[in-house]
Amino acid sequence: MTVACDARQGAPIPDLVFSCRDVSVALPHKDGPRRVLEGISLDLFRGEVLTIVGPSGTGKTTLIRLLAGLTRSTRGTVTVNDRPIDGPPDGVVIVFQDYSHALLQWRTVARNVALGLEGRLPRGEIHERVGEALRLVRLSAHADDHPWQLSGGMQQRLQIARALAVRPAVLLMDEPFGALDAMTKAALQDELLRVREQTKSSVVFVTHDIEEAVYLGDRVAVITGTPGRIGQIVDVDLPKPRDQIVTRQLPRFLELRYRLHHAIGQTEHA
Amino acid sequence: MRQQILKQLDLVRASLPPLRGLLPLVLLLIVWQLIQSGPSPYFPAPSQWWTAARSLYARDHLVAAFGDTTWTFLQGLALAIIIGAALGILIGVSTFAARALAPLLEFMRAIPPPVTVPVASLLIGYNASMKLTVVVLAGLWPILLNAAAAVRQIDPLLLDVARAFRLTPMERLRRIVIPSVIPSLLTGIRVAIPLAIVITLLVEMLTSLPGIGALMIRSQRNFQSSEVYALLVLVGLFGFVVNDVFAIVEGVIMRRWPPRA
Amino acid sequence: MPERRGNRTRINWPGLATIALVLALWEIALRAGLAQYQNLPTPSAIARGLAEIAGSGQLYEDAAHTLWSVLVGWAAAVAAGVVLGLLLGASPTLRRYSLASIEVLRPMPGIAFVPVGLLLFGFSLQMELMVIILPALWPVLVNTMDAVTGVHARLFEVGQTFRLSRAETLRKIILPAALPGVLVGARLSMTLALVLAVVAEMVGNPSGLGYAVVREQQAMRPELVFAYVAVIGALGMILNAALTGAVAFVFPTISGRLREVA
Repeated sequence: MTVACDARQGAPIPDLVFSCRDVSVALPHKDGPRRVLEGISLDLFRGEVLTIVGPSGTGKTTLIRLLAGLTRSTRGTVTVNDRPIDGPPDGVVIVFQDYSHALLQWRTVARNVALGLEGRLPRGEIHERVGEALRLVRLSAHADDHPWQLSGGMQQRLQIARALAVRPAVLLMDEPFGALDAMTKAALQDELLRVREQTKSSVVFVTHDIEEAVYLGDRVAVITGTPGRIGQIVDVDLPKPRDQIVTRQLPRFLELRYRLHHAIGQTEHA
Repeated sequence: MRQQILKQLDLVRASLPPLRGLLPLVLLLIVWQLIQSGPSPYFPAPSQWWTAARSLYARDHLVAAFGDTTWTFLQGLALAIIIGAALGILIGVSTFAARALAPLLEFMRAIPPPVTVPVASLLIGYNASMKLTVVVLAGLWPILLNAAAAVRQIDPLLLDVARAFRLTPMERLRRIVIPSVIPSLLTGIRVAIPLAIVITLLVEMLTSLPGIGALMIRSQRNFQSSEVYALLVLVGLFGFVVNDVFAIVEGVIMRRWPPRA
Repeated sequence: MPERRGNRTRINWPGLATIALVLALWEIALRAGLAQYQNLPTPSAIARGLAEIAGSGQLYEDAAHTLWSVLVGWAAAVAAGVVLGLLLGASPTLRRYSLASIEVLRPMPGIAFVPVGLLLFGFSLQMELMVIILPALWPVLVNTMDAVTGVHARLFEVGQTFRLSRAETLRKIILPAALPGVLVGARLSMTLALVLAVVAEMVGNPSGLGYAVVREQQAMRPELVFAYVAVIGALGMILNAALTGAVAFVFPTISGRLREVA
């Protein structure tokens, strides 16, 4: 089922950052190529948080890697600012779930953050941006530590800081809090929202946690089935700033949660 | 049992690197043959190696030497395994013995096996038992040290299980200690094999006791370069085959263990 | 031998006692005629022999030669092994067309090169270096190659998402990530280099510690044979310690990380 994404059809196109049109992805498999995504049509608008939620095995990771330029589409086009992407697009950075493999364990925290800036900016400005990014995620005190000395939550914040340092227009996040305990997860969710308020980046956030998807998102896209297809895209009209206790108890929150739960379950049984 | 060996062969074949990887070697031989198609004191052509090998074979030197080397190697390895495993387990079982013998063992391990040859020649003389002793010593340490370490690393939980089932020390040895030690033992043997081969050849080269090593030195002294290269290839093949055979044996023995990470 | 528990050094009393006991028994048994071994020297004789060769300078001459060959041979082996290992690690195509050859050549006993070396270079330093370098480069090559192919895919993707050039990815991500593996290979190569040097000296090049052992054995000076053996063993331990120390000095973060992980 191909569903064009949004309720904001007719909105001014310059607000459109990412666009997928009928995209399919087949990945090589030992018995031949396997369709992982089918007929994906999705839009990302400037400044919004789009969460993608679905059960495991539906190709969520493949979708976000597609947006990150790490995977190619077998059919259809992905465009950024109306230009089809070819490899990792400018202004787009992805944050991975397995932070320990994604960080440079031999570099200090500060030097990790500087990775995307080296050779591109003068030394003084790099220093400033690194300080700024570390302040945003509240890791300034650990600038000279090494990643392996930090806790899981802190390492993930480091990865986010590293991404933010290059001031990306779009931040892609692949189940970034999936490997963390519930309390750290909640703290990082709020930190992400706070940081985004300040930087105004657009965010695509993949998760299998329905509540997280509703809590964080301005819009939630449901992906289900194998191969994965976009089922529904729901507007989240909850008040901001979001609060872990208050927001999660609002009737509207529960309604949205129920709706998404149903959407996922329904397509599964279809 | 035959099924398992066949299965292991299949596994080994599947894990072999692609055959086209032999291209560099094949190309080297071809180019060598083209550049230097005849005999030469330094770089005789590969075809010459083959001729020399056949000549050695015809004069009965090859088979006898090969037999001597292989027999010494196998004997030495077998003794090293038995002694190394037994001593290793004994040392591993007693923490006191482990600590007391640790510096001694470390020192023995630091001595490169080749230097034991002149020492053994001094003490034992130039004969077959000296040759065997040196080969055994060379292969002993990796096996012994691995066995001892494995015993010390037995999961304490398993020892509790032994106590819970009231196993006698003999039963515990047979059912828990020895099976726990086998993977490390096999790794130790894998390390010991090339050492045993090297020392066997070394003794033969140094003392001219019969074997491939002695044959190689004799050929070198007679400036028979083709023979030297032919024997080099033979030694290489021997090492390769022994390692592969052992890999298969190891696979068969380890079939019941969970696959290593 | 001191053991390390945390940062304090605990002396291994049973270990030291055992060594002392063995040495004492050895000395007594021979002196009292309890054990008859014509060519087995007493520990005291060995010690005296050690003093003799140290005093005459012979020890230093021999040790210097061996040390020099080992270091030069090892350095060459590491250089060649790292370059080849990097190339093979970086290119799946190259690997496909050479892994089988490597697997065939790897089990070749280094000692088999001695007669070839003698053939080509006679009794000389070149022969010794050839015998050292050819086999000693394998551990470095294989470990480097494995280290490069073992770099986690995620790290490459990080390089991609930050749009690092190929040169930058190599310099900033691949090389540092592969370094621990390369160092392991270098360590193995060092141990091997010493063994090969000694072998080459015993059978081929008449200089150095290996030759000294054979020389004294033929001169029927067993106490010197044992003395030289002890020196060789000590040299091996010193080289190993020096390498580990140098690594810890140059790459403190790696050592920290390795200690953390170990």
